[in-house]
Amino acid sequence: MNGIDSALKPRLRRRSTFEYVAWVVCILLGLGILVSVSTNPNFKWGVVAKYFTHESILRGLMLTLFLTVASMLLGTLLGLVMAIMRASSIKPIAATAGVYITLFRGTPVLVQLIFWFNIAALYPNLTIGIPFTDISTAIDVNALMAPITAALIGLTLNEAAYMAEIIRGGFSAVGKGQLEAADSLGMSGAMKMRKVIIPQAMPSIIPATGNQVIGMFKETSLVSVLGVAELLQSAQLIYARTYETIPLLIVASLWYLVMTLVLSYPQSQLEKKYSHTSARVPRKARKVVLTAPEGIAR
Amino acid sequence: MSNDGTIHARRIRKSFGPKTVLHDIDLDIASGEICCIIGPSGSGKSTVLRCINGLETVDSGVLKVNGDDFGYYETDNAYHALPPKKLAEQRTKVGMVFQQFNLFPNMTARENVMAGPVLVKRADKKQATKRADELLASVGLGNFGDYYPAQLSGGQQQRVAIARSLAMDPEIILFDEPTSALDPEKVGEVLAVMQDLAKKGMTMVVVTHEMGFAREVADSLIFMDDGYVVERGDAREVLANPQEPRTQAFLKQVL
Repeated sequence: MNGIDSALKPRLRRRSTFEYVAWVVCILLGLGILVSVSTNPNFKWGVVAKYFTHESILRGLMLTLFLTVASMLLGTLLGLVMAIMRASSIKPIAATAGVYITLFRGTPVLVQLIFWFNIAALYPNLTIGIPFTDISTAIDVNALMAPITAALIGLTLNEAAYMAEIIRGGFSAVGKGQLEAADSLGMSGAMKMRKVIIPQAMPSIIPATGNQVIGMFKETSLVSVLGVAELLQSAQLIYARTYETIPLLIVASLWYLVMTLVLSYPQSQLEKKYSHTSARVPRKARKVVLTAPEGIAR
Repeated sequence: MSNDGTIHARRIRKSFGPKTVLHDIDLDIASGEICCIIGPSGSGKSTVLRCINGLETVDSGVLKVNGDDFGYYETDNAYHALPPKKLAEQRTKVGMVFQQFNLFPNMTARENVMAGPVLVKRADKKQATKRADELLASVGLGNFGDYYPAQLSGGQQQRVAIARSLAMDPEIILFDEPTSALDPEKVGEVLAVMQDLAKKGMTMVVVTHEMGFAREVADSLIFMDDGYVVERGDAREVLANPQEPRTQAFLKQVL
């Protein structure tokens, strides 16, 4: 044909008509929404801007972050305990964990939160004492179960059930041969768990846990029903006064969106790091020079 | 007299569900003896081996390893299972080398070899490191201590696995088809290490398909089929001159 060597010509991807149509529809739709959202005065973008960094909104955000971190930490710890119990060869222990997981995964977290908040209806007084003696103190459960306590307990107990399943999944990914090798060296059960099972289960547990963190961050909005002034409740408190409902919901949503995006980055990095097929080689191993001549070993 | 390094079994039986995989197996292996167990797959030879270090439990029969009832203690009318700690202690005296190596992928070769002494026997870390390096050198992997299993070839991994077993100073070492998962050209390096070991007076029980190894290294040989010991005796004798028709047929296929 013309001067270019055929062997050097680029090979182009085929674009279907449908692809062009999709582009056009997508752009038109996007523009339409953008125009509508920005020109509709009812969105009150000025109000959104005004409250975006409002002190009580930021305080709510802090509380949301605190609830996320605290309930994830506690939930992961309890979940680990439950996963280990679930794997126990002692039936009553495994069954206890099984019942726990079923109950807490099988009921809505919103119901659980309200339940813990009202637990005083079932047990008005908590008595802590030493059995068979007169030494004891009674605690008023109603006072103890402040909204934030109920929120933390509810989120933690619920999260533990999910984490237990994630961790258990990680455990079962560890091959039977690994357990046999540990057994044949005479390792105790706890040692086997610490040195063989948990390190190898981590690559599948960590990315899933990252996902849970992102989920939990938004799940905390449920505790607004208990009157805990986290992000959503803080917004609600303001619009209850000013009736600027939509702008304040947008403020809260934007913060949820921003924080989710912020959390997504480390999450995707974790996933990349652990989903690699070479994940079985710990990262520090990649420093080792791989070019040692095969022959020297013989 | 010490019974270290001996294995004695009388009428051991084992079933998986309705299928009986071991029918009244007897074994008598002396200290320092090299015993090869051969036979077609599914004949129960691996199960025998796995019973000897408690990866499987026998349903009935007598099983004494290093002179002790393995995993159980005997009373007038029953065998009672030992607590896990006692069983673990008995296991430290029996090394096991697996077909699939089963090195811990989260540890370097050196850490794998040190795992037993440091984690189980609470050995001094510095001495354990030195010992691990010596053991790795003895299996021809002196320069590979910092490598992770995934960075090693199958033959290298299996040699690390052998070093890991040796680090526990076992009286007996069991090999479950140690070369079956290897490239043909890597088989020799593992067999050479095993041959070295045999010279040092270790009791070895080897489930294998390597008839050459059996002929050259083994003292005794057991041929199993369908959960029965079909024939046993001096290794060279049985291989050269099998008496049972089933053994003759098997050897004709594999030799």
